[in-house]
Amino acid sequence: MRQSRLALAAGYTMLLFVSVLFFGPFLWLIRSALMDLSQIFSMPPEWIPSPFRWDNFHRALTILPFGTYFTNTFIIVISTIVGTVLTSSVAAFGFSRIDWRGRDTVFGILMTSMMLPAAVTLIPSFLGWQMLGFYDTYYPLIVPAYFGGGIFNIFLLRQFYLTIPRDFDEAAFVDGATYFQIYRSLIFPLSRSAIIVVALFCFLGTWNDFMGPLIYLKSDSLFTLAIGLQMFQGTYTAQWDLLMAASAAVVLPCVIVFLVGQKYFLEGITLTGLKG
Amino acid sequence: MRKGLFYGLLFTSPAIIGFIIFTLGPMIASMVLSFTDYSVFKDQTSFIGFDNYKTLFSGEDEFFYKSLGVTFYFVALRVPAVILLSFFIALLLNMNVKGRAIFRTIIYLPSIVPAVASAMIWMWLLNPDLGLVNSVLRWFHLPESDWLYSEQSVIPSVVLTTLWGIGGTVIIFLAGLSGIPRQYYEAIEVDGGGWYSKLRHITIPMVSPTIFFNTIMTIIGSIQVFNEAYILTQGGPNNKSLFYVFYLWRTGFRDTEMGYASALAWVLFIIILFFTFIVFRTSKSWVYYEGEGRT
Amino acid sequence: MTGQKKIATVFILMLFLITTVLSACSKSESTNGNEAAGGAASSADGNAGKETITLRLTVWGAPEEVEPYKNVIQKFEAEHTNIKVELQHIAADYDTKLTTMVAGNDVPDIAMMESGSIAYPLAEQGKFYNLQDFLATDSDMNESSLVPNITYSLEPGNVIGIAPGPETFALFYNEDVFKELGIEPPPSKASEAWSWDQFVEVAKQLTLDKNGKNATEDGFDPKNIKQYGLNLPTWWGSYSNFIYSNGGDFVSQDGQSFALNQPEAVEALQKMADLINVHHVSPSPVQAKNIPSTNVALQTKKVAMAIDGQWASSALAQSNFNFNIGVLPVMKQPMTTVVCAMFSIFKSSKHPEEAWELVKALIEPEASIDMLKAGTWMPAARDWYTDEALLAKWTEGLASRPSGYKDAVIDVLLNHSHQTPTGYVKNFNKIMDVVNPALDKVWLGKESAQEAMDSIAAKAQEQVKGRRDIAN
Repeated sequence: MRQSRLALAAGYTMLLFVSVLFFGPFLWLIRSALMDLSQIFSMPPEWIPSPFRWDNFHRALTILPFGTYFTNTFIIVISTIVGTVLTSSVAAFGFSRIDWRGRDTVFGILMTSMMLPAAVTLIPSFLGWQMLGFYDTYYPLIVPAYFGGGIFNIFLLRQFYLTIPRDFDEAAFVDGATYFQIYRSLIFPLSRSAIIVVALFCFLGTWNDFMGPLIYLKSDSLFTLAIGLQMFQGTYTAQWDLLMAASAAVVLPCVIVFLVGQKYFLEGITLTGLKG
Repeated sequence: MRKGLFYGLLFTSPAIIGFIIFTLGPMIASMVLSFTDYSVFKDQTSFIGFDNYKTLFSGEDEFFYKSLGVTFYFVALRVPAVILLSFFIALLLNMNVKGRAIFRTIIYLPSIVPAVASAMIWMWLLNPDLGLVNSVLRWFHLPESDWLYSEQSVIPSVVLTTLWGIGGTVIIFLAGLSGIPRQYYEAIEVDGGGWYSKLRHITIPMVSPTIFFNTIMTIIGSIQVFNEAYILTQGGPNNKSLFYVFYLWRTGFRDTEMGYASALAWVLFIIILFFTFIVFRTSKSWVYYEGEGRT
Repeated sequence: MTGQKKIATVFILMLFLITTVLSACSKSESTNGNEAAGGAASSADGNAGKETITLRLTVWGAPEEVEPYKNVIQKFEAEHTNIKVELQHIAADYDTKLTTMVAGNDVPDIAMMESGSIAYPLAEQGKFYNLQDFLATDSDMNESSLVPNITYSLEPGNVIGIAPGPETFALFYNEDVFKELGIEPPPSKASEAWSWDQFVEVAKQLTLDKNGKNATEDGFDPKNIKQYGLNLPTWWGSYSNFIYSNGGDFVSQDGQSFALNQPEAVEALQKMADLINVHHVSPSPVQAKNIPSTNVALQTKKVAMAIDGQWASSALAQSNFNFNIGVLPVMKQPMTTVVCAMFSIFKSSKHPEEAWELVKALIEPEASIDMLKAGTWMPAARDWYTDEALLAKWTEGLASRPSGYKDAVIDVLLNHSHQTPTGYVKNFNKIMDVVNPALDKVWLGKESAQEAMDSIAAKAQEQVKGRRDIAN
């Protein structure tokens, strides 16, 4: 008991130390967002804005139509999350809980989609979507999510599905369950934490994606937050105060989503209750 | 077995169809282009056989070998650092401490800060003469470094800046850790085992599928490192951070030699495939899947 | 039972989603088709009578930089009721985006471009109109109405782009530092410019270690410098000033050989490197977009003088301290490099005449008066420099234009300026891919400029493909 309290104290200390290291640069972002341009880079560095430039946020968010950007980003993010969670969890089930000939080969082939640098597939992909008439629409950004949602997510879920004991499936089979039932009522709920991770990554990945919207969109009215952020970089100088304020404002929803999302994998899952 | 094949294909069909429609086409296109002198702006494109590949391997292109070397150095340094550090942090975050949610959020925060903003933060922090990091070192009378601006320290410095963004890897580890039933630990406690035997006999085997996943993804991601060179270093100083994909991008887009860039890409593809294959192969001996009980 | 129902619901939901997405897709396809048909119809109408045409323009920039273009377009559309201008603002990765657009045949009529990136690769494939044809016949805008070195040519007589304005280099300084130390500030007139040795001497006096000793004194501690005499960026734009000033060049006059290993260029590079490694008056090299920027470095007295582009004036004007502008020190003759972006008209444009009118409107200084006053830009039209009334509009009584500005920037631009190497050295990027790594060693003091340039001369020579400003 005493030893574990000591371990806890040591762990706490390390946790605090690591947190300071990770939070420092972020704090720098926040305080920069509240400073005027000349104070941001002052030497020696200052940590307290004087005066507090709250209007940086106002200026940053009104100089560009951030309301429209937010709505657009939201539409893309929600559509993508729904597609990704549904299809990647189904596909991962097929790659882990069902035995079929050629399964691992097919999985290996799908893995190769992550191995070719995007720089050389960018133009062919663009031409493909353009040929379909989807240039300047959200389809190139959303539709792929409904077809597996990316091998990264399938791979991640597969790894989690594989840790669930097979006895569960066997027992369910004996009771006459189908694969769909096993997926729906057994595997999906048991890997809840991993699925939430997938949803979270999908949210943040889509939220911050810059290249996709840049290439596939043309009209200002369809632009996303990630594109809006880039606009503070000028030819010769960047408006760092506004860039930092806009960055902080764009990061905020992510922080909230994370704070809510992480609650769901705070609690470890106990398997015993299900065994009976 | 037959039924298995039907259902297996049924469940995986969205992913397979998606791969064929959205990924395979562009992949084949780039493969074909790697045998041509394709440039986006030229109206004429002709097949030149293996010429691109010959130029690559003949040593005519010094940047090819140089960027390959730089990238391997980066990968060798980054992959162990990311895996060890993020696993360690995940263990800390999995402790039953107060304010766990806050700590987790703090660790995850940096990975959601937009790349431009974080690059700018790091350039400022690591400025040799005026930056905060050297100022702190000076304060403690510790040796200073030129960080991103010297040939020896540029790669370690870039690794350092990327370590700030390991939140994603940590979260995946956490999800893995949260899936370990408490009873397993209790069993060890009953036997009088301490934290080490818990780690050695329960934690590591139980999260080995997650370790495996993170290792593969970190390798694939590190080999394709691009943003850091693009935003932070431009490949310098003296080409010591000329990452392979940065060089590839420069060739394909700035110099508009897309055919040659495609050849570069396919060489990298083979390299990544090779390493992934190796890790997959070795996984049988160290990754433990509870769900694969049947042998 | 309920389990089965739930699965059914999930799959129905999925099917529903996929079908909506697909049907929405096909719908958008049909609307696209309609648009195309509509477009054809309207052009058919055009043939019949009054034609309404659309011009597309791509630009980059911060919101404040794009604002002037929006104003121009508004005014332009009011004057030309039959023309609609579509402004496409590409926030970042401009070249990547424009490249994919070209690949997909979705090309704008006019594009703003950087001379060092894809403008010349596009021009070499004949993608642009020769603006010389317009300049030769236009009464409002021609070569004599523009300031020097702001047009880009593929070869003599083939102008592919015109800049909205020039940018030059100058010596920015903090007046208070000079006052405190009782040192005469840099001259602003080119005729009185410091020689290099005078410049080094002043920079040394301005460089202070933490004990307050300057770099000319015994016991000066170069490891603990509190205030640098000078900040000197090490990218090509910066060092090209001194290579030209010393009579050197990147390639030889005939364009046949690599020239950075020639005595004039080597001397200039070496003297710049010595500022860092021998005299310790300039901090170690940092990136082109260096942080902290010139205004902060000067304001906080981290450095006393800084060599930078005139665009720094804008940030300096917003900082609260006494800055001024002096002329660059001279090696052999006063010289500054003019760097600027350009507007080009794509060959695929169906309305070159109208596009040319738009280019003229974009370049017209009045439209971008806010950017001129702020200090970021300079006008392209010569009369805005020579006509006192016009000159006063953007230089008088403004924080961004201190007392030295007219001599150190305007006079130097008009009489002592040189074209950017990206505008006349063929294959510039690939030559620099070989040169930059070698120069990194020079800035870090590991090799002499002569050694470094000699070591890569053969490789650089392979990349030398001639000059664009001479007939081949």
